[in-house]
Amino acid sequence: MLFYSFFKTQVGQQVTVELKNDLAIQGVLESVDQFLNIKLRDIHVVDPERYPHMLSIKNCFIRGSVVRYVQLSPSTVDTALLQDAARREAQSTQQMNQAKPNVAQA
Amino acid sequence: MSEPANKRTPTDFLNSILGQRVFVRLNSGIDYKGLLSCLDGYMNIALEQTEEYVDGELRNRYGDAFIRGNNVLYISAI
Amino acid sequence: MADTAAALTVEEPLDLVRLSLDERIYVKLRGDRELRGRLHAYDQHLNMVLGEVEETITMVDVNDEVQTQSLRSVNRTVPMLFVRGDGVILVSPPSRAA
Repeated sequence: MLFYSFFKTQVGQQVTVELKNDLAIQGVLESVDQFLNIKLRDIHVVDPERYPHMLSIKNCFIRGSVVRYVQLSPSTVDTALLQDAARREAQSTQQMNQAKPNVAQA
Repeated sequence: MSEPANKRTPTDFLNSILGQRVFVRLNSGIDYKGLLSCLDGYMNIALEQTEEYVDGELRNRYGDAFIRGNNVLYISAI
Repeated sequence: MADTAAALTVEEPLDLVRLSLDERIYVKLRGDRELRGRLHAYDQHLNMVLGEVEETITMVDVNDEVQTQSLRSVNRTVPMLFVRGDGVILVSPPSRAA
């Protein structure tokens, strides 16, 4: 849930979503769900010469599984907060695994 | 009827080679040799003193390496 | 085990990644891509947020006439990057002094 929460804090920000097929789309993050599916508005493709289709598209929904990267603007990211959240998440998932001792018992 | 002689599971094997030098082949064909520090139920692997081989040639060394389990084809003790 | 000890030792592979938070790490990805950047967040899928990222993409140029191959790498930098975990092959922390 960490990155779902994180992307919710990015709603309204300009982001560039790079897909696994190399298409890169820049736009405003409109919404995100638990699968990290993404809705963008006011989009443009970063390399329109190579990807001339989509020129007429203003909004899109991107399935989370086809995303390779999302470029963010650093000023919108509180890195100290993120690191703390990551440590807390690591602790809680570890406790969940310990609650099921039959799984992966070393 | 007695119990089957071979009751050793793959997990028993993996636990028995913790701390040993192992050879890991990935689906991509890339090979790793290193000391097996630990692994988990996803077959994520932590290696120490890792050497990376591409087409059998040494390409890289890593002090520590985490390998994401979905890439693993097999692990063998060496 | 005490929390303090659990926080410092490597009991499961993901601990290697946890101990690399706020450190510059190396990430090997599918598609002959490599990243070097500061780890700000990760989860159990190996989704990550990295800062001050250098990406290297290695491409193979094939010359049909003389049947040779040459490797070409392209570099770029990204100030802040979310990386989807399913593309990750390997993560290596900076080498720590023992």
